[in-house]
Amino acid sequence: MTIAQWTRISTDAFTVALVAYMVAMVGYFFYLAFRREQVWRAASAIAWFGLLTQIVSIVARGFAAGRMPWGNMYEFTSLTSMLVVLGYLVIVERRYGAKTLGGFALAFSVITMLIAVLFLYVGPGPLLPSLNNYMRNIHVTAIIFAFSLLALGSGVLTPLFLYKEWRERTDSGSADTGGPKPIMGGSVDAAPGQAVEEPPHFAAGADEPVGTTGRRGLLPPSATLDRLAYRMIAFGFPIWTFAVIAGAVWAQSAWGRYWGWDPKETWAFITWVVFAGYLHARATAGWKGRRAAVIALIGFACLLVTYYAVNLWIGGLHSTYANA
Amino acid sequence: MSSTAAPLTLRRSLALVWRSLRSMRTALILLLLLALAAIAGSLVPQQGTSPATVAAMFRSHPLRADIYNAVGLFDVYGSWWFTLIYVLLLVSLGACLLPRTRAFVRSARIPPQPARELDALRHHAERTVALSPEQAIDHSEHLLRRRLFRVRRIDGALAAEKGIAREGGSLMFHWAFFLVLLGVVIGKGTGFTGYAVITEGQCWTDAAVNYDGNLQQGRFASLGDHTGIQICVKSFEDTYHRSGLPMDFVTTAEFRSPSGEALGEQVIRVNHPASIDGISAYQNAFGWAPIVQVRRGSRLIASGPLQFEKDPAPKGISDLALPWHGALRLPTTDPQTGLQFVLWPDGRAFLQVAQGGQAPMMTTANHPLLILTAYRGDLSSELRPQSAQLDTRGLTKWGSGQLIEQGRTVDLDTGALLPAGRTSRAGDLTVTFAGLRQYTVLQISRDRGVRILGLAAVLILVGLLASLYTARRRVWVKARPGPDGGSVLEVGGYALQRQSQFEEEFARLVERLQAAAGGPSPPVSTEPERVGTR
Repeated sequence: MTIAQWTRISTDAFTVALVAYMVAMVGYFFYLAFRREQVWRAASAIAWFGLLTQIVSIVARGFAAGRMPWGNMYEFTSLTSMLVVLGYLVIVERRYGAKTLGGFALAFSVITMLIAVLFLYVGPGPLLPSLNNYMRNIHVTAIIFAFSLLALGSGVLTPLFLYKEWRERTDSGSADTGGPKPIMGGSVDAAPGQAVEEPPHFAAGADEPVGTTGRRGLLPPSATLDRLAYRMIAFGFPIWTFAVIAGAVWAQSAWGRYWGWDPKETWAFITWVVFAGYLHARATAGWKGRRAAVIALIGFACLLVTYYAVNLWIGGLHSTYANA
Repeated sequence: MSSTAAPLTLRRSLALVWRSLRSMRTALILLLLLALAAIAGSLVPQQGTSPATVAAMFRSHPLRADIYNAVGLFDVYGSWWFTLIYVLLLVSLGACLLPRTRAFVRSARIPPQPARELDALRHHAERTVALSPEQAIDHSEHLLRRRLFRVRRIDGALAAEKGIAREGGSLMFHWAFFLVLLGVVIGKGTGFTGYAVITEGQCWTDAAVNYDGNLQQGRFASLGDHTGIQICVKSFEDTYHRSGLPMDFVTTAEFRSPSGEALGEQVIRVNHPASIDGISAYQNAFGWAPIVQVRRGSRLIASGPLQFEKDPAPKGISDLALPWHGALRLPTTDPQTGLQFVLWPDGRAFLQVAQGGQAPMMTTANHPLLILTAYRGDLSSELRPQSAQLDTRGLTKWGSGQLIEQGRTVDLDTGALLPAGRTSRAGDLTVTFAGLRQYTVLQISRDRGVRILGLAAVLILVGLLASLYTARRRVWVKARPGPDGGSVLEVGGYALQRQSQFEEEFARLVERLQAAAGGPSPPVSTEPERVGTR
């Protein structure tokens, strides 16, 4: 096949995936509101379909460019949104059985894909020599995985946790306390009684139409959301650490210094520091729960700056990456 | 604090400071302060990474620039307050780590403690097995040791523990940051970074004077501390894709020891530095160096490659479409002469521009053209006598611009191009475009801290993974005689972290223990076996 054909396949598959994600997102939100099991099944299936199409798009892009398909902002963004959907479907939905969060995860991916296709698209092409490096592939692969995990944890699950936690606080004392009360901001280890596998509202009546669920939460309990967010961030953090180290190794060979306080490096460091702060805050009395979640939100903002703002507005050595 | 409290003596206040440094809250606040300070450094242009922007700011907003400069905002990462934050953070970390490490060593020495009543534990199971109690315990001990438990045998029962890597990993992760500091201080303090500009066919020696002011030395490095290694550039190649995107930049160089013996040839390209005797050479930049010869009659008064420069390309125009410029100064002529050159490595580009078109990208030399403008007068008023741009204030133009093709000679006195093979009139000043070479710019650096940092990176990663993904577990095993010469194995477990996962782990461990102790003893116990959570 020719480069043009591969490019065509890649962009078409991208569009199909985007549409599929949008449909699945609407389905998930519908399920969140009305609890129709069939709608959830359909939404999940469509999301899986979208995921596979997007993988096709990314692979085709790799063939069109003749290299690993994460060479510029468009490709990076596409890969990130794919990994967020993958992470949601495999970890959150499959492993933890949380069905009501799909709309939010997909909304993240839809927004990033729209940004990618509207503002960041460039045709496939070769890379600058300084980017053409084995260590760089490792660095970028790790950064993409870490970015996706951290974004899912801090950008999708943490706001939901904060919302749910606020609802639980304001609703406390009202009639419906079906199960044991979630421990506010309970950590992974602190709430053994809180079985992740069976949050109270999933047990009975979870699929009842919205009229009868009344004010019972649409979302999993805050303790579950907190734990999920923590798992994602604790999974992503060592990968981010590794990615920053791999980047330093690459910088040492490409520019003769492992660290130069280039804006990208600086922001990767800031992001690392903020998430390290989050992990420590969860182990500190008085900082668990809401305060730690606020730090995670700051971390998410840092992630966005590290990736988008630095490339588009601040510049630096990594900006070659933007128009490569 | 109440008024009856003892007065705040030096000792007490030190103790107070030490205590507050040890608290996690202080560490957290310092971490976030570090992040804030780093943000400041990414928003204000830094002298180290973008000196031109800083200089521009001094011109456009002098007052603001002066204030920024006074508080160190142009060099955030070297400023006293940034240093203060990370030093305080490390002190706080050390204050936290010392007692933790002591406690860790102490607890690692304490053998696993026996438990009296296993059925009081959250995780508890009983199994009938075929082996005798003593053998069952033997086999269980073996199994637990193989599964990385520390096992202690007391009175025919087992007490086992694992997961010491959790705290150990966390300590290793945190201590490694002191190693990072050490690596940076050693590396930057005793190292240097500079740029060597070498034309093809020429040699360059690593000595402080040869860096032309492009040398940054560490605080503990002396100027005489250079290796004296020679780098002789044999060739430089730059290759491009058809789109003009660079493909590769490659310098082939021979290294020689200070005494002149050959140390072998190395290829230096982007991402592939050459290292020798503790210094590393990185491909950094390149340029054109036409060989220009100046004669007075038949006497050669100046000859050699001139390193040309190029202005940064305006937005939207490729770097490769711009011509290069260089200058040659002849202070010994009377009156003094200055030659200003413009080089088009691809002559066709010049023709297209001359016809009002846009210059194509000049990726290779092709009928190169040199455009010469000569000046006469006084060179001594020049402020930057090394610059590629002639300062013409003390000079007057001499003749009009001359186009010189490679291999041709121009007579400055008559302003005519000499026919090939013809020499000029005696006493005339002539300029010959004898050839075209390239020069390469190598970044030369020495950093002795890189290995220490590599070790620190490994410790950080391993420590982080161990502290996040291991968990402490305690397991106890007892055996009492059972039916048919077998025994009843009693297992208890306790998880210090990740309780929810331990349930499954424990059930699997019980199965393994039962299998290790000979499997279920026949006949299978009529009583339903119990396992799981209470």
